[in-house]
Amino acid sequence: MSRRPFIALLLGLALLLTALPLGAQTPDETTIVIAQTVDVGALEPALVNSRAESNIFNHMFATVYEISEQGTLEPHLANSYSISEDGTEWTFTLNEGLTCHDGEALTAEDVAYSFNRAKDPANAFTGNTSGFVFPSIGFIEARADSELEVTIVTDRPQSEAVRLGLISEVYVHCMDYYSSISLEEAAENPVGSGPYRFVEWIRDDYVLIEKVPGYTLRDPFFEKIYWRVIPEASTRTAELIAGNVDVIANVPPDQVDAINNSGTATVKAVQGTRRMYVGYQFGEAFANEPGAEAIAKTEVRVALQYAVDVPTICTQLLGTECERAASMVNPPNGNPALEPYPYDPAKAEELLDAAGYPRGENGVRFEITLQGPRGRYLNDANVVLAIGQYLSDVGVQTNVEILDWSSEYVPRIREKNVGPLFFLGTGGATWAALYDMADLSAPDAGTNYTNWNNAEWFELWDQTAGKSPEEERELINQMLEIMYNDPPWLFLYFQPDFYGVSNRLEWTPRRDEQIGVLSATLQ
Amino acid sequence: MGTYITRRLLQSIIVILGVTLLAFFSLHLGGDPTYLYVSERASEQEIIETRQKLGFDRPLHEQYLSFVVGLARLDLGDSLRARKPALDLVFERLPATLELTLFAMILSTLIALPIGIIAAMRRGSPLDGGIMLVAMFGQSVPGFWLGLMLILSVGLGLRWLPISGHVPVLQPLFTGDFAAAIGNVPEAIRHLIMPGLTIGVFSLSRNARLVRSSMLEVLSQDYVTTARSKGLAERVVITRHALRNALLPVVTLLGLEFGFLLSGVVVTETVFSWPGVGRLVFNAINQRDIPLVLASVVSFSFLFIILNLIVDVLYVQLDPRIRLK
Repeated sequence: MSRRPFIALLLGLALLLTALPLGAQTPDETTIVIAQTVDVGALEPALVNSRAESNIFNHMFATVYEISEQGTLEPHLANSYSISEDGTEWTFTLNEGLTCHDGEALTAEDVAYSFNRAKDPANAFTGNTSGFVFPSIGFIEARADSELEVTIVTDRPQSEAVRLGLISEVYVHCMDYYSSISLEEAAENPVGSGPYRFVEWIRDDYVLIEKVPGYTLRDPFFEKIYWRVIPEASTRTAELIAGNVDVIANVPPDQVDAINNSGTATVKAVQGTRRMYVGYQFGEAFANEPGAEAIAKTEVRVALQYAVDVPTICTQLLGTECERAASMVNPPNGNPALEPYPYDPAKAEELLDAAGYPRGENGVRFEITLQGPRGRYLNDANVVLAIGQYLSDVGVQTNVEILDWSSEYVPRIREKNVGPLFFLGTGGATWAALYDMADLSAPDAGTNYTNWNNAEWFELWDQTAGKSPEEERELINQMLEIMYNDPPWLFLYFQPDFYGVSNRLEWTPRRDEQIGVLSATLQ
Repeated sequence: MGTYITRRLLQSIIVILGVTLLAFFSLHLGGDPTYLYVSERASEQEIIETRQKLGFDRPLHEQYLSFVVGLARLDLGDSLRARKPALDLVFERLPATLELTLFAMILSTLIALPIGIIAAMRRGSPLDGGIMLVAMFGQSVPGFWLGLMLILSVGLGLRWLPISGHVPVLQPLFTGDFAAAIGNVPEAIRHLIMPGLTIGVFSLSRNARLVRSSMLEVLSQDYVTTARSKGLAERVVITRHALRNALLPVVTLLGLEFGFLLSGVVVTETVFSWPGVGRLVFNAINQRDIPLVLASVVSFSFLFIILNLIVDVLYVQLDPRIRLK
C-alpha cells in the first residue's frame, strides 16, 4: 500500500469529525439533568428498593403526606388526618379536584387501591412498601369511606410521626389504569399521580419525565427532568464540569477540588442521615471469638468510644468536617443532654486498665477482629482500616477484615454473622427520633445486628406506642441515655453526602439522600 | 461441510451447559441473594416470604435443572429486578453492544492494516520504530485509564466529542425505522469514537504488530521476489501477492477478537455510560439477578461460538491448502 490511501483515510476521518456538530448537548433553560449511579429496575413503584429509584418516583407519584425538603412531614394529596380512639385506624381526607396523569379523577378509592395492591401476595412485590413500610406500621388493609376519605387499618397504635412518615413513602397509583393492565405492562408504562409524568425510559441510559400541566399541588420550575445513569464517578464529574449535567450525586472526595475549581459547578456537602457505627457483636455464636468476652463488658465498650478520633477520620478520609455522633438519632432529634464522646486515648487506656484489661508484655490488651465492607459507604475500607489502627493504638490488637459488600457482607449482616466488631451504616430520618431508633425495636429485630439485649431499653421501647409527643420525648431521652452508657455501637458519624451542582442552578441538597428538585430554579 | 457445522454446533451445546453450570453455582457461592431484594429492616418472616417468591428456597440442583429445562425451550426465566423475561432484556441491549464492538473492530482493523503494512515496508526506519513503540503502549495501557484520559482530554478539554451516552443506530434499524437509523449515524459516530477506541486500542496495537510481522514473513518469500523480479510495481506486489497471504493469521484472530472485545465492554460501557449488555451483566452480578446473569452468559457464549464457527469456515475459503478432516 502506498502512502496516499492511508493519508486519504486519515483525511476522511478528520473531515468526518469536523463535519459533525461540535460540543455536547447542554440542557436548555427548561430542562434539568440529574446523574445517578444506577438505573431503575422497573417503572413500578411497588418494586422500589433503592434511593435512585425513589428519587424518580417521588416526582412522578404523589403520596398522601410527604417528607418535605426540610425533612418535616407535610400534607400532600391529603390535607388532614384523624386517628381512631384505639389508635389503629387512620383516616385521611383528600384534597378536591385531584387527577391522575391519564385524566381520571384521583379519589379515596385510588389511594385504598394503591395500598391494597402493594400488599396483595398475588402481586409478589418485593419493594420497600410491602417489605418494610407495611410490616413496620402493622398494615392490615385500606378502605375508601367516601370519595375523599380513606382509612388505613393497622394492627396496633404507634408513634404518630413514625406512622405518618412511613405512610408518606407509599406511592398512589390510579386504579382505573392499573387494574386494567398486567404487572409486566405496568412495569414499563407508568401512569402517575405526581407533578411530573413519564415520557421515555431508555434502560441504563436515562428516564425522561415532564411537568404535568395544571398540577395544582406543586408548580415546579423545570419543564423536563432527565435522570441519567452514569455509574463511573469521573465521568459524572466530567459531564458536570462540561455543563451537560446539573446535579450529580456521590462525588468522591478526591474530585471535590476539580469541581470547585471548574468555574461551572460547585460541590455541596450535607451531613446525611445515615448513621455510621462500629457494632459490638453479642451473639452467642461469637462468644468464643477472641475479644468477645472483653466487649461484652460495658466498661470496655465505653472505653473504646474514647479511642477513635472521628473528626480526623472525617477531614482526612471523607474530605469534610463532621461531628461525632452522640447517639443513633439524627440531630436535632437526639437527647440534647448527651455530649459526643471526645477523642481521648489516655482516658481509653485508663478505662481499659480499670476494666481488667491491662497491656501485656507485648503491649496488647486483647485481640479482636473488625469486619467491614468495601464499596458500599463513602471511603469505607479506609475508614475501617483507620478505626482498626486507632483501636490497636490503645492496645486492642485489631485485625481488620474487608469483605465484598453484596456477595459477602450483606448476607453476613442479615444473618447477624459478623463481628465481633463490624462497621455499618443504616439509614435514618429527620422526621422522627423513634424511626432512627427502630433499628433496635426488639432484641430479635432484623436490624438489631449486634444482638444487644438491654432490658431497660426494650421495656421503654414498648411504652412508646400511642404516647403524646411530650411523653414520647421523655421516653426517647431516657432511652438514649441508657444507650449512651451501655453502648451497643461505637458511635461514629452521620455520613456526609457530596453533590456536584451546576452554577446555573439554585438548589439545596437534602439530608436524607433523596434528590428532589421540585423547588430548584435557575440562578 | 454440513457435518462439520452440525458437529461443531453439538459441541457448542456442551460448552454452553458447562458455562451455565459454572456461572450458576459460582453465583450461589456468595450467600443468599434474597438479602439483596429485601429492605434493610425486613423481618425474618418477610425474608422467608421473599425467598419463596424468588424461588431460592428450592434445592440448588432443582433450581439448576429447571433452568436447563427452560433453556431447551429458550425460556430463561424473568429478571428478578426488572420483572421481564431475562432474554428479552439481553436482546434489548445487544444492539448497543454490537454497535460498540463492531465499531471498535472496524476502527482497529482499518487503522492496524495500513500502519502494519507501512511499518513492514519501512522496516528498521524511525517510522517503523515509532509505530511499534505506540503499538506497545497501546497493548499495555489499561482500557479503564485510557477511557478516562480520553474523556478528560478530548471530551472535557477540547470538547470535540460527547463525554458519555449513546445514540442508537442498530435498534431503529431492527425495528424498521430506517430514517431514524440513518439520521442518527453522524451523532452515533461521535458517541462511538472514544469508547470504540478504548476497547479497540489493544486489538489495534496487536493487529498492527501482527500485520507487520506477517507481512515481513511473506515479503521474504520466493514468490514475492519473483513478482518483484518480473518488474511489477511495488503496489501490485503488495496488494495482489503479499497482502492476501499476510492477512490469514489476522482473519483467525478477528474471530477471537470479537470475543475479546465483548469481554472488554463491561468496563468500557461503565466508563462511558453505554447502555449495552456489559452494563446489564455488571449490574446483574452486583444485584445477583441470577436469571439475568445466566441469560447474558448463555447469549455471549452462543455469540462467541457462532463467530468462531464463521471464522473457521472463512479460513477454509481463504486458504484452500487447509482441508477439513
